[in-house]
Amino acid sequence: MRLPELKSEYIWAVMMIFFLIPAIHPIGLPFPMDPVTYEVYNIIESLPEGSIVVMGGGGVFAFDLESSAGMIAMIKQMARKGLRLVTCPVWTEAPQFHKYVIDAARVDKDKYGGPWEYGVDYVLLPYMPGGDMVVFDSFLKDVHATVSVDLAGTPIDELPLMQDLHDYHDIALWICPHWGFVSVIRIVAAQYGITCISPAQSTAYAFFSPFMEAYPGKVYMLNGYVGGAQYEALVGIKGLGHKVMDSYAFASTLIVLFIVLGNITMLSRMGGEEE
Amino acid sequence: MISTDPWVWLSALLTLAIFSMLLGDNKFFRWAEATYTATVIGHSVVTGLLTLKDRFYPLYTGQKPILIIPLILGITSLFVVWRRYAWVSTVAMALMIGVGTGISIRTLMATDVVGNVRAVISETAKVLEGSPATRLGYFIRIVFTICALLYFLFILVPKEGPGGKFFNYIATIGKYALIVYMGIAIGNTIQQFVGTATVAIDRLISTWLGLS
Amino acid sequence: MSTTLAYIRAYIGRIVVVVCCLGILAGYYFTSPTVGGVSDELYTWNMCISSFTLFVGLITIFSRYGRSIINRDTNWPFHLYCLVLIIIWIPFGFHYGIYADLYQTAYLSTKITLHIAILGLLIFFMTSALYRTFRIRSLRTAVLTFLAVVMIFLNAPYLRSYFPTAGDIAYWLLNNPQMSGARAMVLCGGIGGIILGIRILLGHEKGALRVTGGM
Repeated sequence: MRLPELKSEYIWAVMMIFFLIPAIHPIGLPFPMDPVTYEVYNIIESLPEGSIVVMGGGGVFAFDLESSAGMIAMIKQMARKGLRLVTCPVWTEAPQFHKYVIDAARVDKDKYGGPWEYGVDYVLLPYMPGGDMVVFDSFLKDVHATVSVDLAGTPIDELPLMQDLHDYHDIALWICPHWGFVSVIRIVAAQYGITCISPAQSTAYAFFSPFMEAYPGKVYMLNGYVGGAQYEALVGIKGLGHKVMDSYAFASTLIVLFIVLGNITMLSRMGGEEE
Repeated sequence: MISTDPWVWLSALLTLAIFSMLLGDNKFFRWAEATYTATVIGHSVVTGLLTLKDRFYPLYTGQKPILIIPLILGITSLFVVWRRYAWVSTVAMALMIGVGTGISIRTLMATDVVGNVRAVISETAKVLEGSPATRLGYFIRIVFTICALLYFLFILVPKEGPGGKFFNYIATIGKYALIVYMGIAIGNTIQQFVGTATVAIDRLISTWLGLS
Repeated sequence: MSTTLAYIRAYIGRIVVVVCCLGILAGYYFTSPTVGGVSDELYTWNMCISSFTLFVGLITIFSRYGRSIINRDTNWPFHLYCLVLIIIWIPFGFHYGIYADLYQTAYLSTKITLHIAILGLLIFFMTSALYRTFRIRSLRTAVLTFLAVVMIFLNAPYLRSYFPTAGDIAYWLLNNPQMSGARAMVLCGGIGGIILGIRILLGHEKGALRVTGGM
């Protein structure tokens, strides 16, 4: 029996239905933890109160959304621990992304009654042009020579947090929730020896995993939404990662079914040709 | 309940416009495409204007008058879009290329080449340590990396002679190592696109229609 | 005369590239404060000049879409709409600043929403593409298909919750065979990047300076 080739429109229609089901009725499937998620969590937990963490890098917002699942959870953890955060955006969309994850984490004292006060506990810096590695090298050598104002245009000398941040000696940890993590590794981890963490996109994990082995103990990556959902569970929130896990449960089954169906179709046509 | 926020309605309409591409090219999609282009360019220009204000602040205040040179070079760099006058931007482009090349050569050598070669050498020593899965893992890493490198650096592989057949087998293993890499990477990458589709559809169902 | 000018222009470009590249390298390898100062100044100049690249898109879009509107090409009303929206967006953004909540809301509701939808659309095209292309016709396609399917399954929460070893297997696959192939690509990419840099320094690589007529 020769199976007909499915039209793409039918495939898309079935896919859409399978996306709508978990969107309307979230299931909340459980999932276990991976060891690397615990490692990353413990690295942030072990930082002393008042340590300065830099959230920096460059990428496209829509791609970086995958990193936002883990990043928002990390910001909540950092705020709870009393750590301080400075951003270092090197692409044009990065300042918007940094503002988005900090707002989504609801840690600002004035807006959401959270533990962080702007200028004291966290600072948003503006886009710094010139290429990722150039900016990181310049930033880590001398922060105040690289950037003079924050995202709102306030001179950084007037911000209490920036009085304590002058160069790489003052940075305890670098987190990069962007595609451009490799530039961070090349300069921040390799040259200046600062530990770097990335709630990486799954594509980025596939490409940049060699650097975790090249710099053991200095470079850590979570694997996409799976890692992000695990981190959310560790911090005790249910966010984007959990939502995607539900959709992924359906979508993954459907994709595999279609691949199997495609091969059965091919075999049925081969059998028909032989007859 | 259905949202009354105009921004939510706008984003819902734009999302539906993009998804209408599944039904074929249409004017609704074209409108969304034009909106996308406009917001990308608009945001770049706004960021550019604010960045110029920050970057040249020391020049405006007289703290660093030498910044007049990069200001002039930056203006000349805009001439690159006109074929006839692109020569005006030569020095500005050359400066950016030179700085980028300088930092790239150094970091690529130190991180991408030396760092990874060092990792392969250190893993060679670990092949006999740890559990069977760990040992197998280290062994696979060394064999696959070397074979895949040999496959890439095909000019080093002698095609004829007594060594030719041996090197061809090594290159074939390297080819399959890369196929293994691509297969696993594709399988892992699916979650990224499932996630973005989930966010887009969730925005319609939960945020706009309030059905969840 | 024009040949002489072209000759001078070409060599000015090459000299600037070499001087800047060596200045950056010297700033890293030598501990002299003077050399470090030169390297830092080059970084600053590079960052200042790069700020202007954000306007290149504006000039290009206006020239292309402007021509399309004047000539009444296909989709010219959409091009007109695009240019009008840019003209509205720029003063709006400059007035409120990109730090403002209103700008952030506008940006998230338009550009980011659109980009997420465009990327989300890809899973539909990917699924139909996987249906048609992941067909086992040879050993190579069998290996590719099998591993992709295994990885898709191993990341699924329903499998991981009932078989926790699935997560360990997934990480083993990612960190061993997959990582090896990625490492080979990174190594070769790194070697290629270094060679490209050397070719640029030696003037063999035309690259961006060809557009300017500098090489």
